[in-house]
Amino acid sequence: MNRRSRFIEAASRGKILANKCAKCSHSTLETTYFCEKCSSDIFTTEEYDGLGNVVTFTIQSVAPEGFTDAGSYAWVVFKVDGAPFNVSGFLKDIGAPSDLPIGSKVQVTGFDEKHGLLLKRV
Amino acid sequence: MLNKVCVLGAGSTKYGKLNESVVELALDASKEAITSAGITPKDIESGYISNVFGVSDKQVHMAPVIMSNLGIPYTPGLTIESACGSGSVMLREAYANVAAGFYDCVLAVGVEKITQVGTVQSTTLFSYCSDFFYEGGNGASFPGLFASIARAYLTRYKATEEDLAYVAVKNHENGILNPKAHVRKKITIEDVMRSPVVASPLKLYDCCPFSDGSSALILCSEEFAKKRGKSYVEIIGSGRGASPAAVQSREDITTIPSTVNAARQAYEMAKITPKDVDFAEVHDCFTIAEVIDTEDLGFFKKGEAAGAIRAGATKRNGEIPINPSGGLKSKGHPIGATGIGQVVEVFEQFTGKAGDRTIHDAEIAVTHNFGATGASAAVHVFKKVK
Repeated sequence: MNRRSRFIEAASRGKILANKCAKCSHSTLETTYFCEKCSSDIFTTEEYDGLGNVVTFTIQSVAPEGFTDAGSYAWVVFKVDGAPFNVSGFLKDIGAPSDLPIGSKVQVTGFDEKHGLLLKRV
Repeated sequence: MLNKVCVLGAGSTKYGKLNESVVELALDASKEAITSAGITPKDIESGYISNVFGVSDKQVHMAPVIMSNLGIPYTPGLTIESACGSGSVMLREAYANVAAGFYDCVLAVGVEKITQVGTVQSTTLFSYCSDFFYEGGNGASFPGLFASIARAYLTRYKATEEDLAYVAVKNHENGILNPKAHVRKKITIEDVMRSPVVASPLKLYDCCPFSDGSSALILCSEEFAKKRGKSYVEIIGSGRGASPAAVQSREDITTIPSTVNAARQAYEMAKITPKDVDFAEVHDCFTIAEVIDTEDLGFFKKGEAAGAIRAGATKRNGEIPINPSGGLKSKGHPIGATGIGQVVEVFEQFTGKAGDRTIHDAEIAVTHNFGATGASAAVHVFKKVK
């Protein structure tokens, strides 16, 4: 299984898969091949609960192909609880910015081939 | 030791929704640049072409087609893609080859043809310039990505959507004076604030248009330029930078590291500081981008650009005029051409061809252009040759 497939498999279980560098302990997302800090490619796998707080987001009027039938949704960047990194995902049924204050809690609910990393508000 | 590199000629099509093919646009701009430089195609030793979506107009491997139609089919060419920053990244490669002495005279032409595919398809194609697995694939468009950056900036620095509107109004004021600009229309703060939301908090008038168009330059060695006896501009600084491809991976979403690093390199090479710059053409694909650019380029402290822009500091008669051409916002954004079009503006400013847009007594100018949300960038510094 390649790296993206492993990330997707974990996301399908509501988890965020990451790599912890065996040399310098820096953590990055599973999809990274070398450590950004020390260039080592020896990692141990970490799995985070897919919970986090909204760092920033947007709600778009014109969606790209594949999302034109998704209704009003937010593209969200969130800080993963316990991890030193952010991840972004798709959060449906968000109609206005007031529906999603910065800092709101979101959770990964799965990974959809059409809409990517799926989130819900918690 | 690098050789001095000069801009000897410049040309540009109008930017907008155009009927010509991508190849015809590139050839029209190239011919104008060749004529402007007072050379013939036979003087060109290599061609550099920047383009992103040639496939949408049924032409990739564009360089040989352009060189062939310029009547120099045995002169090598190279096509370079770096999303919206393609032009400046290509300029850097053209510059480097002349500076290194491989060539005395080269053509640098950027071109884009996209409006024929419509808004939804354009939005989709542009989303492929993001880190698609994390961004476009999760539903983010480019307005959406910059809107997320805008939200982070406005939240952190207590700036307002109305502050952003001042960027749009100023750039439209400049673009009205540019006969080749895509959107030559005066707008007010109220117009911006009342325009439809494209991606909250960005509204229609916070966004540059999808544009077709082409811009071209003739770059050459100083010795070659002097022999022609024409006005020219010297490139005195060139820098490249990179940022994490995905917005989520940036330690600070309100700054663009590629700009900071490219500017530092270019200023060091040119032996200048931001205070020495008389005007700049910067990458204002969205109003928030110009706010962040002007901080990352060192014209304003972090968090202070929005207020300075509101106070008029970046108008043509301000302390640091930004985008006298109208910028991407008004002049337009044919993404393969944009970085070269910025240099066309510098050339026109420094050779007495900018008309009512002229920044009087300017001698040092900067161009800044990035790809995607700033994943790639290049900054160049130019000096007027008296």
